[in-house]
Amino acid sequence: MSALTAMTTMAERELLNIARSRSQLYSSILTPLLFLVFLGNGVSSGLQPANLAAGNFTAYLVAGTVVMTSVFSSTFSSASYFRDRDNGVLRLLLSTPHHPRVILLGKSLASLVIGVVQALVVLVAAAPFVEFEWQHGVLPGFAIAVSAVVLLNLMLTGLAQAFASRIQSMQGFHLLMNLALFPLLFFSGAFFPIDGLPVWLRVMAFANPLTYAVDAMQLATYAAGGEGFIGLPFDFAVLGTVAVLVYALGLSRIPRLTQSGQ
Amino acid sequence: MEHPGPAIAARDIVRDYGERRALDGFSLEVPRGGVFGILGPNGSGKSTFIAMLAAMEQPGSGELRVLGEAPSRALRARVGTVFQENSADPLMRTAEYLRFAGRLFGVQGGALKERIPALLERFGLAQRAGDPVSTLSGGMRRRLEVARALLHEPEMLLLDEPTTGVDPEERQILWDTLGEARGSTTVLLATNDLAEADAACDRVAFVQDGRVVATGTPAELKQGLRRDAVRITWPGATAEELAVVGGWPGTGEILRDEDTVHVTADDASALVPRLFELAGRGIRGVRIESSSLEDAYFRYIQRRAGGSK
Repeated sequence: MSALTAMTTMAERELLNIARSRSQLYSSILTPLLFLVFLGNGVSSGLQPANLAAGNFTAYLVAGTVVMTSVFSSTFSSASYFRDRDNGVLRLLLSTPHHPRVILLGKSLASLVIGVVQALVVLVAAAPFVEFEWQHGVLPGFAIAVSAVVLLNLMLTGLAQAFASRIQSMQGFHLLMNLALFPLLFFSGAFFPIDGLPVWLRVMAFANPLTYAVDAMQLATYAAGGEGFIGLPFDFAVLGTVAVLVYALGLSRIPRLTQSGQ
Repeated sequence: MEHPGPAIAARDIVRDYGERRALDGFSLEVPRGGVFGILGPNGSGKSTFIAMLAAMEQPGSGELRVLGEAPSRALRARVGTVFQENSADPLMRTAEYLRFAGRLFGVQGGALKERIPALLERFGLAQRAGDPVSTLSGGMRRRLEVARALLHEPEMLLLDEPTTGVDPEERQILWDTLGEARGSTTVLLATNDLAEADAACDRVAFVQDGRVVATGTPAELKQGLRRDAVRITWPGATAEELAVVGGWPGTGEILRDEDTVHVTADDASALVPRLFELAGRGIRGVRIESSSLEDAYFRYIQRRAGGSK
């Protein structure tokens, strides 16, 4: 029997379960879209966003919203780890002839797919209603955005997996993910440009891997030029390196049963 | 992949969890084919041993061979395990769960399509094939677990207390169905249900404090017991009173399990009037049965009363 079959079997089952959790699926797409509509329009109407390159806050906010969708999605998907443990399914998975990493790969493949799809649904749904510059062209721009989203989700999946394999309760896991990721979201340029921030906040922003995902997305869709942005080569270098390292960390954490096998 | 030796050969297995010793010189040989029972109280090491056979735990020391091999992930393809707790995903449909588990154990394509309906039929779940697992009764879920464990046609089936929380009718259905696997598959049953083991097992081992204290067929283990087993509900029985009972002719083992005193005797009808004469109102109830595996179990396992013989 091949590890590939086991991995795709795992991924298929995870996707099926996510598809059946309709409320989770809808809310993870609707929440960011509502966020975009209300926060984007509210700020655009109420403020003069002089610091924005293209002057339209709603368009600016799309990249951040896509990143936020990925953050939510990776958190929700990795919660299946706790469901499996509590339902006893994890015991079965660890009793199969496969290495636990094959099982993890299958789970994370599903998490990655669902995270990417949800993020891209948000991007595709928002694109017709905002003024994107598509400076590299629509299709190349979309391809760049997809690449950034894939790397971002790889990183987030690895992070969620690393936390989930060591935390006892789902509540604790959600708390830790929120604690780790929400501050990162705010200092990533997702909601406001990092250019005008005080130096100490800019240092935090540049140390934050989400910043590079937002920057790549902005450059692919919203930005008219490179001024005021980090640049795609550096974005992808950082994002790619961090994604691979964090995912490897997640994969190195073998899942544990609540108790030992007794 | 037949091999001539025993299905399981365990020698001097020791396994510690921190300060606690779960297995303490555990030695056991299980022949191929038939149903072998491991009986012991909770915490005696049964589940730890099962987990080792399924290569989910490693012995600290000692030697373990399963189907002629040291336990490994690859060996799991030849072993089916039913855990004490359910492991079916409640979000999946019944047949879908079997397909999922089957693929993870290497069953593919045609074999999967052939075996799933056959197993669902055999375990009385065909009508529920499309229903979510969460809607199945407790007994049905246990049957589904056994069907899942048989899906890859294992040479050995490990059952860790498979009928816990299952009503007697469901239990009977399960054992009737499992009976069909007898002979072709070695079944290892870990349980603390002595009546079930007496009825289902060809051979049994009694386990206490992480070691095997007796092994044999139920008939062999019952040998030497007196003809009748008398269970007396006697909360205030003193060591002196039990010593008196033990001195009466025709009385065998006397064992105490909290408020119940177990006495084996050649003739219960002669023993009971003398008991009431001795203890009077202290006795709340008396039940007389033929000696069973339970009596043999208590002889080997339970703490002996102060006045026991």
